[in-house]
Amino acid sequence: MNDTEIAQALGTAEPRVNTDDALARFQARVETEGIAPVASVARPRITSRWLQGLAAAAGVVIVASALTLSGVAGSILQIFEPKSVVAVPLTQGDLNYLGQACAGLNLQECMGAYGTFEWTAPPQPKEVSSRSQASAQAGFTALAPASLPSSVTGDPRYGVINRSTATFTFSADSTRQAAARQNRTAPPLPANIDGSKLFIAGGPAVVQIWGAPTSAPVSHGQGDLTDIPTLIVGQAKAPTVSSDGVTVDQLRAYLLSQPGISPQLAAAIRAIGDPSSTLPVPVPAELAISHPVTVQGVQGLYIGDNTGIASAVIWQKDGMMFEVIGSFTESQALAIANSMR
Amino acid sequence: MTLPARDPGRIVAAAVSPAFEGLFRAEYARVVGIAHRVLADQAEAEDVAQDVFISFYRGHPADAAYARAWLHAAAAHAALNALRGRDRRSRREAAQAVPPDATAAQEDPAETVAASETREEVRAVLARLPERSAAMLALRYAGLSYAEIAAALDVRASSVGTLLRRAEDAFRRELR
Repeated sequence: MNDTEIAQALGTAEPRVNTDDALARFQARVETEGIAPVASVARPRITSRWLQGLAAAAGVVIVASALTLSGVAGSILQIFEPKSVVAVPLTQGDLNYLGQACAGLNLQECMGAYGTFEWTAPPQPKEVSSRSQASAQAGFTALAPASLPSSVTGDPRYGVINRSTATFTFSADSTRQAAARQNRTAPPLPANIDGSKLFIAGGPAVVQIWGAPTSAPVSHGQGDLTDIPTLIVGQAKAPTVSSDGVTVDQLRAYLLSQPGISPQLAAAIRAIGDPSSTLPVPVPAELAISHPVTVQGVQGLYIGDNTGIASAVIWQKDGMMFEVIGSFTESQALAIANSMR
Repeated sequence: MTLPARDPGRIVAAAVSPAFEGLFRAEYARVVGIAHRVLADQAEAEDVAQDVFISFYRGHPADAAYARAWLHAAAAHAALNALRGRDRRSRREAAQAVPPDATAAQEDPAETVAASETREEVRAVLARLPERSAAMLALRYAGLSYAEIAAALDVRASSVGTLLRRAEDAFRRELR
């Protein structure tokens, strides 16, 4: 079946419509059903890609969570367990560089530029029907905001992500080949890094989503048909990364030696006081603002886009990572975060 | 002196904002066209279009930059929802309700029945396809450009060709 046949199967005739009649019908329905138009203040539309970006940042937080060392050889060294979060601004140059290196932003392909990434227990999100079920399956009490802005209505949907683990093995060959594909020369991978492994773990995690489209078909006239979530609350056991030899300082030095890393990014990476306990959250420098905030009595990170459309607050407390993401002002986002009980 | 005849369009213009009327007039046919690709039933497609505009009117300003993309996406999703919501009997009835454009060309009853069966099968395939694939086919074959599809489905314009080919492949597989 070729394109023309598909077109024929789907029907090639354009329906003839009478727009005046349709508009009159629309008007009659508006009047009969008492439908009011939206207030004049434009409701911003967060694109799903923006949310995907934030979700990816949240995913980094969640996926990078809770590696237990049981069952792993005694030589394993825990090199990362975040006690705080910090923004790392990425310039367009950095993004271009990472975009080339990452060949489409697929995690495995991206990591493939430096070695082999393998899920040993891949994340498998599933929906549950209540917060108590989510807590039971995650093995911790899922906190929920006690107060919400008026823009957030209805009941949330609940998702649980299992504890996920992955192994990354550095490879000098992969690094050379990836660099060659990009017509550049990468600094050689130090011998002590080549072949060494990182053990990454994240979760369990609980995600609560308000305003998400339901999986059931939307019947005529009900609700916004393409609405995106109004609020996402994520909670996960703090991530850990362990290594069978390489240290954080060695990794940081190698990362800083990469061509294409901007001076701003290099400075931000160098400024991380204790990289073994600080979770860097990548923030596009031209698109978003970020600064430290106090939330739930600890230091967290606020990220917002330059237009005020979307906000995120990320913090770590008592071994758990939390994120609040949605279309809010900074004060609204912080109020939600501080009301988590 | 005689009063000018009442023009339905002018009555409407007095009740909805000029911006909304402009949007409605500019996009109504396109929205119906998208829904018609999915439903193969003009009356049902126009019902869907009305619902789509009502949803937009309730929740979004008429001059929103994303208005057109929103309407296109909503038309595809709402039509697919309506398609899936049809019970078997009504789907059969809709398939046998030959649209006016087809009647002239197909006078042979056997051909008419065969065309109806094909239409029914095509709708069943659309209902089974993943939401994004089905929406992509509806938008593309309703005449939207790659850029318009990218805006409606919030995907990169450079990915539309690949995603569309996958959707077409899935459509062909399901239709066998």
